[in-house]
Amino acid sequence: MASTQHGLSGTSASAGPAVPRAPSLLATDPRPLLLELRGVTKRFGGATALNAVDFDLASGEIHGLLGENGAGKSTLMKILSGVHQPDEGELTFRGEAVRFGSPAEAKAHGIGMIFQELSAIGSLSVAENVFRGRQPVNRLGLVDWKRMNAEATATLREVGVDLDATARVGDLPLGAQQLVEIAWVISSGAEVIILDEPTSALSPPEAERLFTLMRQLRLRGKSLIFISHFLEDVLAVSDRVTILKNSRKVATLPNEGLTKGRLIELMIGKDATDLAAGYEQATALPPPVAGSAVLEIAGLTAPGAFADVDLTVRAGEIVGIFGFLGAGMTEVARALFGQLRPTAGTTRLGGMGIAPRSPREAKRLGIAYLTENRRATLFPRHEIYKNVTLAHLDRLVPPVFRSGAEVAVAERQVRRTGVRPANPQLLAGHLSGGNQQKVVLAKWLTRQPRLLILNEPTRGMDVGAKREVLDLVKELKAEGVAILLLSTEPETVIAECDRVLVMSKGRVTREFGGGERVSKDLLMGHA
Amino acid sequence: MAKELPQGAGSGVGALGVDRRSGSAWERGLRWASRHARILAPLLTLGVLVAFFGVASDRFLDVANFQNIFSQVGRVAIAATGITFVLLCAEIDLSIASVASLAGVISAFFYVGTWLDLGSWGILVGLVAGALIGLINGFFVSRLGIPSFMMTLAMLTISVGLATWVTQGRAIYEAPPLLRTLGGSGSRLFGVPVVAIVAGVVLLLGGFVLGYTKFGRYVYMTGGNREAAEMSGVNTGQVVMVCLMISGLTAGIAGMLDVGRNSNASATAGTDLLLAAIAAVVLGGTSLFGGEGGIRNTVLGVLIFGVLSNGLNLLPNVSVYVKDALEGIILVGALLLNVVALRVERVRTRAE
Repeated sequence: MASTQHGLSGTSASAGPAVPRAPSLLATDPRPLLLELRGVTKRFGGATALNAVDFDLASGEIHGLLGENGAGKSTLMKILSGVHQPDEGELTFRGEAVRFGSPAEAKAHGIGMIFQELSAIGSLSVAENVFRGRQPVNRLGLVDWKRMNAEATATLREVGVDLDATARVGDLPLGAQQLVEIAWVISSGAEVIILDEPTSALSPPEAERLFTLMRQLRLRGKSLIFISHFLEDVLAVSDRVTILKNSRKVATLPNEGLTKGRLIELMIGKDATDLAAGYEQATALPPPVAGSAVLEIAGLTAPGAFADVDLTVRAGEIVGIFGFLGAGMTEVARALFGQLRPTAGTTRLGGMGIAPRSPREAKRLGIAYLTENRRATLFPRHEIYKNVTLAHLDRLVPPVFRSGAEVAVAERQVRRTGVRPANPQLLAGHLSGGNQQKVVLAKWLTRQPRLLILNEPTRGMDVGAKREVLDLVKELKAEGVAILLLSTEPETVIAECDRVLVMSKGRVTREFGGGERVSKDLLMGHA
Repeated sequence: MAKELPQGAGSGVGALGVDRRSGSAWERGLRWASRHARILAPLLTLGVLVAFFGVASDRFLDVANFQNIFSQVGRVAIAATGITFVLLCAEIDLSIASVASLAGVISAFFYVGTWLDLGSWGILVGLVAGALIGLINGFFVSRLGIPSFMMTLAMLTISVGLATWVTQGRAIYEAPPLLRTLGGSGSRLFGVPVVAIVAGVVLLLGGFVLGYTKFGRYVYMTGGNREAAEMSGVNTGQVVMVCLMISGLTAGIAGMLDVGRNSNASATAGTDLLLAAIAAVVLGGTSLFGGEGGIRNTVLGVLIFGVLSNGLNLLPNVSVYVKDALEGIILVGALLLNVVALRVERVRTRAE
């Protein structure tokens, strides 16, 4: 593919590593520091996940935390919430040096974490969830329902939420579930509340309601750490923003005067030493592909997942969709593969209207789907050859078969996809993650698909394996396969695709066509 | 981990990508053993039991006693074949014993002909009934999502009820001659109990389907990772349905052979079949969680089961009253050996 890369020209390339350090909070703000991290380093094996990071949090502050995938955000939060212990550096809480040996210790100090995957228990009531782990009991040691419901209602009111305490949490919309979770954290005495990607699955009004609550909590002196991919959301509520990049802190800046563009610059860094520097500048996409349309989607909608998605993939074309986790890309793929029923819109494959109701049906139509979740596609306790031949077993072997011919087919596929070791008799579970991914790809290539959907095909792979897989994808493109590539890594879509769509909160927000120039910050700006 | 392994290209490279020639004979033996732990553990159990009873009882190793064992386990082996399919796809069938007695009762009912005289064709009705009940189990489990544990438990009650209704609570003291030939305890061919030959045929068929057909592969993959099988386009619902149907069918065959053996049919006959068949399959090393094991394992499990109950009866100093408890304890020991063996297998193959 002829993706031209330009030199180090372009906008604001001057913002190098010499980002000015944020002025000390104490100098500008009377609010006392509640929590302070100094020079915190965390290594996992040989990899450094956090490198000498400083971070502080004042009482009554909302502190936004930004960074790309793998920048170190979640490691930092896991250290704060006691899941991990730092290898170097110190933690100060209310002026005292502390060390959280476990999540329970962090919780006892008043640090509460709300995970992206909510931990509220859907089958229990709102009150039961608010009092999770410490339900009030009467003299007989039985749960005091009356008191629990009354107190839960009071707690919810306190945080400005009007919810029926007896409602089943599983029946509530996601936004309300999140509020219940926050009520739980607060009522268990949290002073610091960490919110990990709380808005990714919320509708705009729900997110607005969450922001209101966050501001109220700030007024009551609580401190919040707000982790998000959505820059507008971070700018909307945060007092200060800290940006991490490649395990290091780039800067902590006050909100005033910050813009989305500036944040993106800081997040992706514009210095020449950056390994990914080649992608930072606008790259021109290749000219349009002339092949006939294989996949045509119009107005496809699945409530709660995605809405109004239009998309065309031609024969011999790689179309990328970029978006953050929860943007709805995976759901679009699932709909194409018969695992999710859209409620509106049309899907055409090779000009024919289709509505696959199962993966089996999708497979028969010539659709292959490499999911982001290897566990859902691999048989770790079975041999590689059984993994490879399963999808098209009916075409590969006669009705009564011995494994000999089958193993030969598998061996060919395994060599083609570069699985190492290339021994089809090995158990698939004994391969490394990247090689497991190749096995799944090998499975779908036992018969040439018309449409190949790749969801995060190279995530977690080393550079060599990544290249091999992407080369194979190019080969398929040359053979006329229509390829839809979903990724949360902007580099991947920019480098590999003929056209790129950006999805955000279930909608396509931008399409970059043939020949158009595209860059990482452009993509992230629309996500 | 696997990245460090050498490429499995050369002819001297074993199935695990490790050079077969490396290491001492002992190490190679150990490696081989740990890879085949699932079959070696029950084999060892069987060997130990045979050796023990051979020494402890002077009658155990007689030809007549082996004829005995084989005629006793035939019925269990047939039902266990169906259970093997069901366990391999990670489901369970608790209805087999009552489906067996229902099929037996039906075959005798139509043979006697008080309502409708079909003669020996009643056997066919019994077969169809067994398969149909299995199919109903399968439909409710795979299409309507009732857990197989609950569905087949309910079917247990339904089948007993139907059998009681058909017999009006009494036993039918007649059996089709074909069943007496196939299932009778004295019925032999060249000295081999006919029921054991029937069991052998059923086991072979089961082994053939599981080992050499696409459906058999689908069974293993459905049990190994249902979601992944579904994502590969396997109709896992249909696989589960057919497995439960096979289980109903084999239970029906087992039940009718039992009628042949006893020369009578009643709704309450053969209730021990359920535990015996499931225990035999698990003893043989087939996983309760699906995907691993097979007919070879079931053959071993059935033999362990047969040798154990037979051998305990032959021990002169063991009271009949402690026999059941003793049998249970030995079964636990055998299961423990399986668990240990599989742990060794996992740890060792991972280390390689």
